[in-house]
Formats: sequence, C-alpha cells, structure tokens
Amino acid sequence: MAILKLYGWPESTATWRVAIVLHEAKVPFEFVNVNILNADYKTPEYLEKQPFGQIPYIDDDGFILFESRAIGRYIAAEHPESKLIPTDPKKHALFEQAASIEFANFDFNADPLIKALARKRFLGQDSDQAPLDAKMETLEGRLDVYEKILAKQRYIAGDEITLADLFHLPRAQFIETYIKSGVMTSSSRPHVARWYDELLSRPSWKAFEGGVKGILEY
Amino acid sequence: MAILKLYSSSVTACTRRTATVLHELKIPFELIEVDVLSGAHKTPEFLKFQPFGQVPYIDDDGFILYESRAICRYVAAKHPRSGLIPTDPKANALFEQATSIELTNFEPSAGKAGLPFYLKKLGWRDDLTDVPANLEILDKKLDAYEAILSKQRYLAGDTLTLADLFHLPYAGFVSLGSDIMTRPNRPNVARWYNELVSRPAWLAYQDGVKTTTEY
Repeated sequence: MAILKLYGWPESTATWRVAIVLHEAKVPFEFVNVNILNADYKTPEYLEKQPFGQIPYIDDDGFILFESRAIGRYIAAEHPESKLIPTDPKKHALFEQAASIEFANFDFNADPLIKALARKRFLGQDSDQAPLDAKMETLEGRLDVYEKILAKQRYIAGDEITLADLFHLPRAQFIETYIKSGVMTSSSRPHVARWYDELLSRPSWKAFEGGVKGILEY
Repeated sequence: MAILKLYSSSVTACTRRTATVLHELKIPFELIEVDVLSGAHKTPEFLKFQPFGQVPYIDDDGFILYESRAICRYVAAKHPRSGLIPTDPKANALFEQATSIELTNFEPSAGKAGLPFYLKKLGWRDDLTDVPANLEILDKKLDAYEAILSKQRYLAGDTLTLADLFHLPYAGFVSLGSDIMTRPNRPNVARWYNELVSRPAWLAYQDGVKTTTEY
C-alpha cells in the first residue's frame, strides 16, 4: 500500500490543519510541495484533482480527497483509535455543533483578516483598514462566547478533545502571531487562553512549527 | 416523546435549511417563533440555549443543539436509511468533501450575494452594494461545480446527500436577483439546481417555516 501523499504548501493554514490530524492519528505521509508562487495549483493537471484550484489535497493510495476538514474527518474515521470524532449519538451531535461553530463563527471572521495579510505579503496590496477592524471586533466578540463555553467544559465539543478543537489551531495561531497578539491569549479570556495554550503544546502542533513536512515514522 | 421544537425566525436562511431537512426526513416539528427583528435572540434567556445569539436551535426532548448544519446532521443520523449521510468510508469522505465545498466555496459568496436579495424581498433591508463583487466570485466557483456535476449527479456522488440540500437557502436566494444558477453555459449546475429547488421539502416553506406535524 502506497504511503499517503499530502499536496500543499508548508505554511498554508489548511495544509497545517491536515498535517495536525495526520500526526494525531500517527499516519505516515509524504509531503509534496505545491509551488504557490508559480501558481502550480491552477494548472489543468492540478484542477483535475482539485477543481477549485486550492490546496491541499491528498492522494491516499489512489483515493483523491480535498478540503482540509474533510481530509481530517476521513483520517479520523479511518483511525478511530485516535478518538477525534465521538461515536455516542449525542456527543457526536455536540461535536458537529462545535465543528460548525469553528467554521461559521471563527473561520468566517478570521478569513478576511488572513486574506488581507496574504494580499499584502504576496501582492503588495493594501486593504481598507476599517472593515478589517470591524471583522476583528466581531471575531473577538465570538471569542467572548467561546470564553463562556470553555468555562463550563474543557474543549469546544465537551470534555474531550475532538477534531473541532484541532481545526481552529492553524488560523488561531496565525492571527495571534501575525495579525493581533493577545486575541487568543488575553487574560480577559482566561479559558480561551487555557484552551489555546493546551492545543499549542500538543506534539501534533509542535511537529510542524517550522512548516509542514512529511513524517515517515512516529 | 415530545415533538422536536425548532426555535427560530420562520424566514431566516438557516431555519429554511433546517426545516427542509426535517421535511425530507418526514420529522414532525413545532416551530417556536423567535422575533429576531426585535432582538429576541439576544436576550439572556435565549443566550442560555444559544450563546452566540443566533437562530435556529432545537430542543429534541430536552437535548439542545444549535448550528443548522449540525442539527441537520443530527436528525439525518437518526434516519440512516434516508441515505442523506453515506456510511461507506469512501462515500462518506466524498460526502464530507462536498459539505466542506458548500461551506468554503459556496456559502461565503452565495450568502453575501443572496442574503441582500432575500432581505429586500422580505422588506427588511434594501442594500445590494455587496452583491456584484460576490456574484463575480460565485461565478468562478460555479465553474468548478460544473466540472464536478458533469461527472456525477450530485455534489458527493450519484445520490442526493445533505451536502446538496445545505446549498438550498442561499442558492434559492441568489436566484431572486440573478440567473447565475441556471445559465446555459453551466448546464449541469442548472440541472442540479433545478432539481433541488423543485423538491417538496424546499417548496413547502416558501412563505416561511411553520409547525409541521403531518406529512
């Protein structure tokens, strides 16, 4: 059986999201760098595999899958011993609620901030600051709600870690590090800070601190 | 066992999404109207159940759940024979890919283009400023949908899943002001879209979601 191949870019938050789950599930994988500066993700060959021209995607012994969260779910389902998706029906429903919160409340507001920074970094384009400031305020408002949730339970879906927590990590770290320090670590949200800190200390995060790379052995 | 209670505005997108799936699964439910225009979803009583102050949430015999897609997944999981969530591992992975496509590649632009048309229709707000730029983004995304749907009937494969149904509210709303879902240069998107919007579960709540106890 061929080793799983992860096609992505070492510093892409979506590629990171997949790598974290692969590590948590102890799945060996080869990393294939997609040259984003060359727009390799827009070639006809690439679009055959990922029609939206986005990274990452995986090739798992011929099975092609894209969308980082879908890949994460696939890996977690193939490796139930990693316990990243609860099986009990009500816990599973609360996991789905948490996974939806991640996208609808966190990523939805984080995305414009991250894209603005990417435009600045790669294209030298400036963005209107006022709408970005408003987005940051919205994001922090959502984190105030996370604070209430995490005051009652250890993780976003309950008292056990799930994919929903891990899915947050790349973009949470990116915003904290490159956009506004304190968003995730402010003492005004001690439970968010505790949760964030705990996620950052996991080996699955530390393994890729310098960027995503393949892992053949755990 | 108590009837499932759906707490929401009768007209908002996420309520329409939830009700459509409940209808597909023939699940009786009671709609308990939350007057969002007067901020009923921001009161301390409401926030106890949905801390983000958003609609909908459900009370299923005492079990509280929010986020429309999570609610839909929860009820579909209780009805595995519906096939709305495939169980075969690879089919399930492709289903998850499709639900993620809807979230990341459809909703952001379809929502920002569709919601203004819908709010204008409801008489709640008339501001179409964000529409053109978002239709442009959506147009490119739909080219990728065309590539996928030219090879298979639905977004996750050849059978209907939740992933297709999740698109309904914003796909429907965008069509209130644009023909982007039915253009002749994207015949497969048009075919898929037309099939979805003709489903009784979508048509049932055109004038707003209401309590449904019989099917």
